[in-house]
Amino acid sequence: MVLTLLTGAPTDASPPYTTVEMTVEIPDVTLIDQDAREVSLRELVDSGEVVIVDFIFGTCTTICPILSAGFSNLQRRLGSGPGGPVLISFSIDPEHDGPEVMAKYLKRYRAQPGWSFLTGDRDDIDTIMHAFDAYVPDKMSHQPISFMKMGASGRWLKIDGLVSTADLLAELAKIQESGSSSAEVQK
Amino acid sequence: MTRQRSNVIVISLVLLWAAAGPALAGEQQEEVAGIPAEEALRLGERMYREGILPSGEPMMALVSEDIEIEGTMFSCESCHLRSGRGSIEGTVITLPTCASWLYKPLVGREMRPESESRLPDRLNPPPFRKAYTDKLVARAIWVGKDPDGREFNWVMPRYKLSTRNMEILVHYLKNLSAVYSPGVDDTTIRFATVVSHDVSPTDRDALLQTLQAIVRDRNSQNRHDERRARSGPFNMEELYNPYRRYSLSVWELEGEPSTWSAQLEDYYRDAPVFALLGGITNGEWAPIHDFCERFRIPSLFPITDYPVVSDSDWYTLYFSKGYYQEGETAARFLSRTDAVAKDVPVVQVLRDSSAGRDAAAGFIAARSSRGLPAPTVIEVEPGRTIDRGFWSQLAADNPGAALVLWLEPGDLHDIAALTSVEPRPAAVIVSASLIGDMPATLPSEVRPFTFITYPHSLPEDVGRSRLAVKSWLRAKGLPVTNFEIQAKGYFLGWMLAATVKLMRDDFYRDYFLDVMDMMRDEYYSVGAIYPRLSFGPGQRYASKGCYVVQLDDGDPPKLVKRSEWVVH
Repeated sequence: MVLTLLTGAPTDASPPYTTVEMTVEIPDVTLIDQDAREVSLRELVDSGEVVIVDFIFGTCTTICPILSAGFSNLQRRLGSGPGGPVLISFSIDPEHDGPEVMAKYLKRYRAQPGWSFLTGDRDDIDTIMHAFDAYVPDKMSHQPISFMKMGASGRWLKIDGLVSTADLLAELAKIQESGSSSAEVQK
Repeated sequence: MTRQRSNVIVISLVLLWAAAGPALAGEQQEEVAGIPAEEALRLGERMYREGILPSGEPMMALVSEDIEIEGTMFSCESCHLRSGRGSIEGTVITLPTCASWLYKPLVGREMRPESESRLPDRLNPPPFRKAYTDKLVARAIWVGKDPDGREFNWVMPRYKLSTRNMEILVHYLKNLSAVYSPGVDDTTIRFATVVSHDVSPTDRDALLQTLQAIVRDRNSQNRHDERRARSGPFNMEELYNPYRRYSLSVWELEGEPSTWSAQLEDYYRDAPVFALLGGITNGEWAPIHDFCERFRIPSLFPITDYPVVSDSDWYTLYFSKGYYQEGETAARFLSRTDAVAKDVPVVQVLRDSSAGRDAAAGFIAARSSRGLPAPTVIEVEPGRTIDRGFWSQLAADNPGAALVLWLEPGDLHDIAALTSVEPRPAAVIVSASLIGDMPATLPSEVRPFTFITYPHSLPEDVGRSRLAVKSWLRAKGLPVTNFEIQAKGYFLGWMLAATVKLMRDDFYRDYFLDVMDMMRDEYYSVGAIYPRLSFGPGQRYASKGCYVVQLDDGDPPKLVKRSEWVVH
């Protein structure tokens, strides 16, 4: 679905989004996080019940600030650290987004433990984008999408659009009700 | 705070604003919100760019219905960009929010009044949107409605601002990209390039002749550009009218760098330019960089190894961070490679030169940001010859250390003496930029543990791009004299043409840079020098990488990649 949002332009005021379930095989890659640590992506994805990922970059204009403000809000609502949601932001500008840039970015959004901003070799980032069917050849062409893990089955919920925290929590609750995730969602 | 309560507050603020209307009605305001207009402009700029209120507190807003954000997370500038001309990211289009767009009706196609008057009504529909007034701009920011009452998408934050703060922000928007920047008139965009007296005639000519060829191409009128701009068909006016010739002045700098600022100001006062193109000095670029920051003049791709490294300055777009970038890469490589144990002591050796200082500063900064201990620094006294004794002593004093050598070719002739002491160094790192053609003559004894920072495309990868640049030079009748300078000039011309085309007739300096920031990665046009250049809002060093290579055992030896282009 082509989503056209005109910021500051009159459109339907409610945040439009669509969802679709998909299977994602998490690539066996090692990435670098905001603390310059090497991170096994598979281990990170397996480390939590509630796992939400998005694709952003450090100097992004419109999409990423809103996705990241949403992650920040989510951490406030669901808690952070061990037992909290695992939030993963992949950099789609891996050349510019080194640990220093990513750490500064997360600080701006008051990120708490449990939110990882990951960069790495361009090929690895491309592989991850392909795995999530989110590949864009150029960062300026990227889309406002995020993904929610649906249990350990390799199934993920793709959320296409900029969603409110209430909508995000509602989607999480649906996953929980369907038994795909055992995480407790508190509204 | 609930959404309902939030709405009550913003509606109240709109009413307050209406009451304050008369204070905003005048075109010429000496005071805004009870403070001098100039001060209001400064405070409004801070709100727009940094999301900080005049009180120093962050601006607060709601986005996506229920996500509360602080202005310091992202500001108006994040989406509408510095010029206020908006942005396009994927399928998300952020419309402009500057004076030249807000305060006039939004129509489908811009054209001259005389053309518009000749059009039948059926081809000239009413505007999509009425013009904003100050009050309507305030309403848009508070409650997210356009002049016709249509509600914005929730991507646009709804800001919680007092009447006074809103007045200040609106004052800023009313002045943002309101008039064309200096250096542009109805026929010409004026550029300048800066050349300092210490540059060799060969290098000077290599740059100037390349830039002049770019200007000649633009002005050649082989597509009748000026005629089309004057009297093209009405439906193409929006496309053709923005055409302007280029003019290029050469600003020659004499004497000490400390006097350059005054010289630049004199040049600028005599004939303001829209932007600086290229430019070349043998020393540090800082005086020109500072001048551009002060006068808010874009400066594109100067030829310098000594850029100003800053993560906040705006107006100069460099090819790279120069030696500093090699220093950063060396530090990151050492912290990542399996070839060197993580706990070996690290020693930097340098001479007191700009190159040595910049590389060392990059190395230290990168280690510090990783929480790694600062290296031991050995500064070689001026005039001291580095001989076998120096190397033996260095190895003996720092057994098994990683040695990072920001030294020049003449310093490395006896480097094989490092192997005369056990244990030998864990690694040696040298800079390809500093040692020039020296890699091929590095003694075979040290090659197995010597790594070279190499900030350019590898020789085997430059073929096609090099051929393209050479073909272009040949077509322009220019002999190859300094290929690197000429290739960089060629790339500058490539980027300039694309940026000016996309800028259309929005001749605002900040927009010029905003447009360049939105460019896609470049490979082919610059491949003879860098594997790729990339851009992004506020990114001011287009080359993000630097290989680390070693020499193989061949004769002559070849470079062998030991890292990717970007090392984190």
